[in-house]
Amino acid sequence: MIRFILRRLLSGVILIFVISVVAFSLLYIGSGDIARRILGQNATQEIVDRKAAELGLNRPLYEQYWDWLTSAVQGDFGRSWFSGQLVAQGVSSRLAVTLSIVIGATLIAAIISVVIGVLAATRRGWIDRGLQFTSVLGFAIPGFLIALGLVLVFSINLKWFKATGYIPITTSFSGWMSSVTLPVIALAIGTIAAVAQQVRGSVIDALERDYVRTLRSRGLGMGRVVAKHVLRNAGGPALAVLAVQFVGLLGGAVIIEQIFALPGLGQLAVQATVQSDIPIVMGLVIVTASIVVIVNLLIDLAQAALNPKVRLS
Amino acid sequence: MFRWKATAAAAVVAALALSGCAAGDGGGEGSSSTLVLGAIAAPTTYDPSGAEWGNRSPYYQAVFDTLLLATPEGTIEPWLATEWSYNDDNTELTLTIRDDVKFSDGTALTADVVKQNLERFQTGTSPDAGYLAGVTGIAAPDDTTVVITLGAPDPALLNYLTRDPGLVGAPAQFDDPNAATDPIGSGPYILDTAATVTSTSYVYKKNPDYWNPDVQHYDALTINVLTDPTAALNAIKAGEANGVKLANNDNLAEVEGAGWTVNANELDFQGLLLLDRAGTMNPALADVRVRQAINFAFDREGLLTALQSGNGTVTNQVFPATSDAYDEKLDSTYTYDPEKAKELLAEAGYASGLTISMPTVSVLGATTFTLIAQQLSDVGITVEATDVGMDSFIADMLAPKYPATFMALEQNPDWQLIQFMIAPTAVFNPFHSEDPKIDEMMSQIQNGDEATQAKVAGELNAYLVEQAWFAPFYRVQGSFGTDANTSVKMLPTNAYPALYDFVPKG
Repeated sequence: MIRFILRRLLSGVILIFVISVVAFSLLYIGSGDIARRILGQNATQEIVDRKAAELGLNRPLYEQYWDWLTSAVQGDFGRSWFSGQLVAQGVSSRLAVTLSIVIGATLIAAIISVVIGVLAATRRGWIDRGLQFTSVLGFAIPGFLIALGLVLVFSINLKWFKATGYIPITTSFSGWMSSVTLPVIALAIGTIAAVAQQVRGSVIDALERDYVRTLRSRGLGMGRVVAKHVLRNAGGPALAVLAVQFVGLLGGAVIIEQIFALPGLGQLAVQATVQSDIPIVMGLVIVTASIVVIVNLLIDLAQAALNPKVRLS
Repeated sequence: MFRWKATAAAAVVAALALSGCAAGDGGGEGSSSTLVLGAIAAPTTYDPSGAEWGNRSPYYQAVFDTLLLATPEGTIEPWLATEWSYNDDNTELTLTIRDDVKFSDGTALTADVVKQNLERFQTGTSPDAGYLAGVTGIAAPDDTTVVITLGAPDPALLNYLTRDPGLVGAPAQFDDPNAATDPIGSGPYILDTAATVTSTSYVYKKNPDYWNPDVQHYDALTINVLTDPTAALNAIKAGEANGVKLANNDNLAEVEGAGWTVNANELDFQGLLLLDRAGTMNPALADVRVRQAINFAFDREGLLTALQSGNGTVTNQVFPATSDAYDEKLDSTYTYDPEKAKELLAEAGYASGLTISMPTVSVLGATTFTLIAQQLSDVGITVEATDVGMDSFIADMLAPKYPATFMALEQNPDWQLIQFMIAPTAVFNPFHSEDPKIDEMMSQIQNGDEATQAKVAGELNAYLVEQAWFAPFYRVQGSFGTDANTSVKMLPTNAYPALYDFVPKG
């Protein structure tokens, strides 16, 4: 088990290193006139050249990358070219925002999709069809459209929640709730649709097994059979889908963050990539790649915990 | 039991909804002691030597002071500098600095600090560092006197000192890399670094020791970066701000529908820059008749309606209406007359038409370029359009890679405008077009007194219109929304109003 974890972490580190090389090269090649972009249209060429020299933009690719790498392994990710902020500080402060909506969305989605999936699988009939239909709707309607609709109804018309901005949980719990609820709902809906379908399918599969018939014939109520036995078996594939969804949510959160003006990683990522703010983008690449590696590792461990038949190798 | 799960899920949703409701009422925005503003861009650095102005002015005005103040009436007033005067040939400006100003870290403002700030701006990487390019020396003979020496008269210098070159920051920050995010200034507010989220939301508290409490109308200030027009509109409708800069004029009706006021000024013109006046890249443009023909080819009213929903004013001049050089009569020089355009082209020898290559960019609107190409083709001019990305657009234009282009340019006070788009060394004169008459007029403006400057600027304006160096379409309305509790006065010289001009109503 420990060896498994260590091996996974090591291959994770190598993966992150490779990703950093690829990302840096792509940014370097695709960036155009960064100094001009920082200074805007009114600056004279002389000032633009001065800025480029200050940032070391005229050096060859490998030299710039090596510089970045040697500082990064010491924990110094540099400063943003477009805001002067320390990359480590900027990314970590926004990480909290994005994680709170993504983890919140994942948890809500997990709970609700299990409920929906099990209901659909056990009750069948018109409940099943109705829930399936709503799931497909939730899947098909783009997240940002749902977000815009939620803002219109709940923030602007009813004034129940904030339309824009983020209040940290340390400042005020209710404030945090009011700024985070609508984004979480908007994000969760797409995930619920996907995971609920998966849960429904796996539960139906499991319910047709012999051991279920045996347990029922022994007099166990359907509810206990599902909760204690079926869910553990059906959980594996659902967990896998959830993991994929979580990683997808990190990206999907981008548009939601734009609409709600939340200062999260997504907003930073879009801004930094469009501007070619290389220090920030590299910081984000490292952070996101690390999250993906860790989430995948945790899911594998959870699968093993859920199902003793799974061998960690 | 899944019933348990369902109940649990229901309980969680209910808890969310209830706490969300509670917070919604808590609000706090719009109370008369906090001003919440929306800006469309974040500052790239809080180091005053790298500062910009325009849409980024409120950030710097909050924590720093400038040497001089630009007023909504278009005048220049004392601020950190109480008096100023030029010597006889306008090559030496002497400023008297206030002696009662302290920075937020307790250090005192002296002339030497002002001198160092000016020097740092001149040698720094602010996009406007070129404003001080003509300064050959700065001296601080005593604690309250600064003498700026120029190589040649610069009629725009006083104007520059009301903007970013005039910002004064504390000496403790000169070599501090944290200056980019933790400013120390003498301004009316102090940045609350703990509550601020860089590039998203800047929070400030009132500076209790500010030297000019009369302009501190609020106890706290928040500036939110709302680059997305939809998020800005939502913030307006939900009442989450007191003043928001509107990036475009597409939603003015909705803004007013929310009970807000749209405050307008005119700062930019949009039109064609006929850059290659010597004909080095496209010989046709060397002929003034061709350039005049281009001016006759456009239905400016139609373009204004189509591209800006009528929010703006049609014009033939690059000088703004607030300038002494502006002459209303000049705006009837070029009417919409495609027949006249074709006549002029035939006279110049282009009866069979000609081709001009121009860059296009999606950010400035897809319809824009379609309409331009269409109106030009109606008179026999084919546009060879090349689509470029926004960053390459400016770089290519200034390279120069194209003889003409559509562009939106700021209409600054006269000398600044001349240095910006007309002088042979101007940023937006990439072909370095020169004309002996223009050189002569520029020299008269540079060396003359105020009356001469006004008169000759008018002559220069008329000459430029007649020589068709540009084909301006219209001046665009710049819009700034304020809610029912806030009033503001727009500046004729800046996209964003001055912080000092926001006042709570009632």
